[in-house]
Amino acid sequence: MMAEGKRHRFRIKPPRRLVQLGVIVVLIGVPFYTQNPLEWSPSRIVLGHLPKPRVFPLSGDTWSFSIGGFTLTHPVAFIEEVLSSKVVYQPLLISALIPLVLTLVLGRVFCSWLCPVGFLLELNQKVNSLFRRAGLHLRVRIKDLRYTILALALVLVFFFAFPILSIFDPPHLFGRELMYIFTHGAVSLSGAGLLLGIFLLDLFFAPRVWCRSLCPSGGALSLLGARRLWRIRMDAGRCTHCGYCDEACPYGLEPMGLAEAKGFDWLKCDNCGLCRDVCPTGALSYRFDLKGG
Amino acid sequence: MRNPWSADLTRRAFLRQTGVCGLLALLPLNWRETVLRPPGSVRDFLARCIRCGKCLEACPYDSIRFLDITAGALIHTPHIDPLRTPCYLCQQRGPDGKDRPISRYLRCGEACPTGAIRRIVNDKEVLAAVPEEMKIGVSVLDRRICLAWQYDSCGECYYNCPLKDKALRDRPPREVITGATGIRPYVDPGHCIGCGMCNYVCPVRRHIAESVMKREVRLSRFEQRYAAMVRNVIGRVGEDVKLPAVRVIMRP
Repeated sequence: MMAEGKRHRFRIKPPRRLVQLGVIVVLIGVPFYTQNPLEWSPSRIVLGHLPKPRVFPLSGDTWSFSIGGFTLTHPVAFIEEVLSSKVVYQPLLISALIPLVLTLVLGRVFCSWLCPVGFLLELNQKVNSLFRRAGLHLRVRIKDLRYTILALALVLVFFFAFPILSIFDPPHLFGRELMYIFTHGAVSLSGAGLLLGIFLLDLFFAPRVWCRSLCPSGGALSLLGARRLWRIRMDAGRCTHCGYCDEACPYGLEPMGLAEAKGFDWLKCDNCGLCRDVCPTGALSYRFDLKGG
Repeated sequence: MRNPWSADLTRRAFLRQTGVCGLLALLPLNWRETVLRPPGSVRDFLARCIRCGKCLEACPYDSIRFLDITAGALIHTPHIDPLRTPCYLCQQRGPDGKDRPISRYLRCGEACPTGAIRRIVNDKEVLAAVPEEMKIGVSVLDRRICLAWQYDSCGECYYNCPLKDKALRDRPPREVITGATGIRPYVDPGHCIGCGMCNYVCPVRRHIAESVMKREVRLSRFEQRYAAMVRNVIGRVGEDVKLPAVRVIMRP
């Protein structure tokens, strides 16, 4: 084992940013393409009886997405639908299979790679630090309420028999508000309000407080990925205890503690790879590991 | 390793948090009387709808809308408001006055990932025979305020019905009408799918009746034709009548 290591040459952050940007482009592009606002001609409004031209069927957002006949469904949507209807609808099961397996194997990568709101909140950190320097920042610590809200919502879903989690899922709200703008030229009060609230909370109070301690679907993905195989690992011999990784972690976890075999909140880690990227000696790296935390 | 399912939470704290959040969550429960769901919605529609919004995106006429926050727990489920935009049953009316299907299946059912809205073949014979529990609703006609029944002078609903001669007929079967030459619309509840086109075109509306007295209400040509008659017919029956003359009510 080398005592002196080098920083990882390949960084995870650039491809991750690219994927996140791609998701936002898709969320705006799909309704733009299918609803075709360039063809909102006066004749269509006056006649009122012309359908939209049929284009290649692309639809949905992060909650449920289809390309042609191929559908992908968010695992949380699948779980709550099964809980509320008490039957397993086969096409839904098939569409949820790939995301479900990915979450079980790779953990909560949805939050770090795909979630558009998570991406915007990550970008928000720059503004947030400006506010913090100006003293406009109120630091509020909220307990991790994700599992509580999730458990409660699932109980409601089971006994009242309607899926309710989609209205607390910001990436879905984001995509759906965009879709509503393109179809009906309006935003819904609740969806836009919740999104705005999350952004303001993030700007002025605690950074990423929604992802840390309020997001119920994030909590569900955490629990699904609890026994994941893809984990951050520390090469204790290379760690110089510089503390960069602790600073980089958006959730305030302490990856440096892994060197001393301290406890690490595996549930909260979403495998974003920021700690791995900043590590100057390359002590942190991802490995497939059957052993678990 | 620690048990991942415990997540730093004592049982007491968990129960307390759950209780508080539960009380908060129960506050906005609020049910509407009439919510018309898209065609093909199964009986346990609410249990299956994950509120993804794909039906709304697929709808070629943007007839499907979301319920807003005033619907409480039903928020963001799809509905059709026929007075704003009726369901066109994925048909397009050509210059010859005949409807042509624009897709093989009704698109909302095609788009639904959970089976809350079932796929219905876009064919008039099939649409007229959709099972009762998968319909949008059923139209009811109030003959007291219907211009065709009272003045023998309308028939818009009959001409615009996508299931013309099946769901809406020009005269009731087994009913002898003397001295009538025009259309006497009759809704066949067995065939009516509840698309709301009759609801949309019916001229018996409040603003049309008011336009006779108020100059500032502007009407289209089509509406001007009926304005005086609408005012008379509403005035004769009374103010508490439900408008328009033909309305879609929820399926049984």
